[in-house]
Amino acid sequence: MKKIVLFIMIVMLMVGCGQQSSDQNAGDGDQQASFPERPLEFVACYGPGGGHDTMLRAMAKIITDEKIIDTTINVVNKPGGSAAVGMGYVNSHAGDGHYLMSTTSSFITTPLSSDLELNYKNFTPIARLGIDPEMVLINSKSEFTSLEDFLKSDKAINVGGTGLGTIEHIVTVMLEKMSGKELNYIPYQGDGEVIAALMGNQIDFTITNPNTAYDYLKSGDFKALAISTEERIDMMPDVPTFKELGYDITVSLFRGVAAPAGISEEEKAYYTEMIKGLVQTEAWKDDYLGKNMIVEGYMDGAEYEEFLNEMNGIYETILRELEIIK
Amino acid sequence: MESIQNLLIGFNDIFSVYNMIIIFLGSMFGTIVGALPGLGPSAGIALLIPLTFGMPVGSALSLLVGAYMGTMYGGRITAILINTPGDAPAIMTAQDGYPLMLQGKGGLALGISAFSSFIGGIFGLIVLVFGAPIVSKVAINFGPPEYFMLMVLGLSTITLLAGKSMSKAVMMALVGFALGMVGSDYVSGFVRFDFTPELIEGVDFVAIIIGLYGISEVFLNIENLVHLKMGKPSFKVKEFIPSISDIKKITMPTLRGSLIGTLIGILPGAGGTIATFLSYATEKKIAKNPEKFGNGAIEGLAAPEAANNASVPGALIPLITLGIPGSGGTAIMLGALIMYGLRPGPLLMVESGRLVWLMIAGLIIANVFLLFSNILLIPVFINIIRMIQKYLSPIVTVLCILGAYSLNYGMFNIWIVLIFGVLGYFMKKFDYPSGPLILSVVLAPLTENYFRQSIMLSRGSFSIFLTRPVSLGIILLLITIFAFSFIKKGRNSKNQDYSEE
Repeated sequence: MKKIVLFIMIVMLMVGCGQQSSDQNAGDGDQQASFPERPLEFVACYGPGGGHDTMLRAMAKIITDEKIIDTTINVVNKPGGSAAVGMGYVNSHAGDGHYLMSTTSSFITTPLSSDLELNYKNFTPIARLGIDPEMVLINSKSEFTSLEDFLKSDKAINVGGTGLGTIEHIVTVMLEKMSGKELNYIPYQGDGEVIAALMGNQIDFTITNPNTAYDYLKSGDFKALAISTEERIDMMPDVPTFKELGYDITVSLFRGVAAPAGISEEEKAYYTEMIKGLVQTEAWKDDYLGKNMIVEGYMDGAEYEEFLNEMNGIYETILRELEIIK
Repeated sequence: MESIQNLLIGFNDIFSVYNMIIIFLGSMFGTIVGALPGLGPSAGIALLIPLTFGMPVGSALSLLVGAYMGTMYGGRITAILINTPGDAPAIMTAQDGYPLMLQGKGGLALGISAFSSFIGGIFGLIVLVFGAPIVSKVAINFGPPEYFMLMVLGLSTITLLAGKSMSKAVMMALVGFALGMVGSDYVSGFVRFDFTPELIEGVDFVAIIIGLYGISEVFLNIENLVHLKMGKPSFKVKEFIPSISDIKKITMPTLRGSLIGTLIGILPGAGGTIATFLSYATEKKIAKNPEKFGNGAIEGLAAPEAANNASVPGALIPLITLGIPGSGGTAIMLGALIMYGLRPGPLLMVESGRLVWLMIAGLIIANVFLLFSNILLIPVFINIIRMIQKYLSPIVTVLCILGAYSLNYGMFNIWIVLIFGVLGYFMKKFDYPSGPLILSVVLAPLTENYFRQSIMLSRGSFSIFLTRPVSLGIILLLITIFAFSFIKKGRNSKNQDYSEE
């Protein structure tokens, strides 16, 4: 009998320990009377290590470190379908303000190029945070040293990127049309997989953001051949723009955040304040924008919505021209 | 040896009473989280991250690696005790672990699996310490064609999970393929069979596992009034520690499992799952008495459990050397590293090598703690089951439903679990195996995407599978296995049975 009592005590103790730690997590948000009721979930629509993921994790860290809000933030990855998976996931929580999704150009291109019955209008735009350019990246061991070499060679060229109809794909198709060289676009799941493919020489080059490529450029594993900005950027003065090389390609990725549709004004205001607090911090400017070579470009929810309307028009025209949408 | 020196510095950096307590608490917490169906390393680490703010980075990493390893040990507990694997790699643990439980040897099963988990984990860590840079160089040479062939190899283990009828196994595999197709396809961005928005993500295979194994077992137990042979309450540790003859029996399977787990665990995606299935298949193939597999063969328990834990350090190799996570657990570790100001990527070892070695030292210490605590806790686990046996069915049901809810914080996966619970009940009644179904649900989307990427790379030519050495090697291996089983069949030609038994 004694043993059983002892045993029950051990069990209770163990259960108690477990509860204590989970209580602490849930308890963080108690100061806000109604929202948030539980930890916030930041949803990255691409795999870990990619641009969405890096941005949300940096946001979560800075917001927590600088005590901008005192609720726990969990970053989750819902990769796949050129962000369709993440959009479906967040949309399945329509009306629930505990979800905040990273949005990039795929927020517009994926609905346009697939029959996903969702588009940017099914979400609540919260803010645009910045833009980042597209670059042509090759393995340093590659036999080619310039974009011209590539486009004039007889070799069949395989280009890696994420999903069909993404900005990387649009840049590839534009390059193909302007140069007349056939480029074979291979979709991978997330930026991390593309980087691995380029590392292992599975593909000839990739179109990706400086954000993803930064460390690999620094370590000398990869080389950048062209960038899609109007002018060369300060951090990489040796990389020529597409324009200089004779290809008029100036499309860049935008980065922002959106919440599910149908959230309350209170919830919207909560996020607007949070983001306003975030973009003013030095940590955000240095540790995120600076380190990832992202051009600052804050817009609030209303401005971002207008921007999305405008971009949607531009993208739709390009994608129709490229026959990605018929 | 530079690696040993670095590792010693890592041990030196991590060694303090505070850190040891932290690793211990982390690993106990991980064990409990891992034991709950539906919760795995991602949930375990995510729950602890807020607690680590304000801690020194070394201690924070200690807590997280402890929890990470702990979930790997925890997963086997529910697989053995209540036939509810928490994740795909634990399925093979239930295959022979639960039969042992039914025979009243649950404690022994837990002991053996703790032991082989330890060996697997340490084996993987040794490879991580000495071979990480070389291994990662080999791993990046694996492209879509190699991954595709590996998936085919994984799927071929269906024949070994078949049970009595091969046609039933193939039918179940095809059902699994159909289920695996549901959801969004990133190669084209097209969404298939999305009858509700929840299905855009596909059917969560963890929900299918919980339904097919956990809930269906509850139905069967209610119907048959199953009584586990639990004996009298006992706290003697002796009964749970494997005997010398048991250890002899499982030494080779454990080492083979460790090797397979380390090699295949490195590959991103379903590495851990394929490794457990392949090591189980290997043991069954070479066993003297394969008919014991599925009925409580300790070799069949030890090998996949070793493979599962060996795949953990394996998956860390691409994370540490290249910044590319290979599994759900390492993905969340990556997030944690970024939070502590590290930049996972090719420069991680150069810029923050000392912290990485500290983390590796932490993994080794956690493994040792977990071996002892898991063996010492066996009486607790067994006696919990003994005490609640009368109420086991409702308790397992509640755990399964909670696990399903926690997958997506919604009702949807609860329905999935219940539907597959009913399906699983009828499958068990009519002797349809569930292993092939789960395996193809997990592997079907990967198989399909790797195939399409390969064909896109080669611009429509199938020769890509033959011109690349690794891919060709796997094809030859498959042909050899196939030929051998035919020769074997020829010898036992009188036996009309299709199964391996």
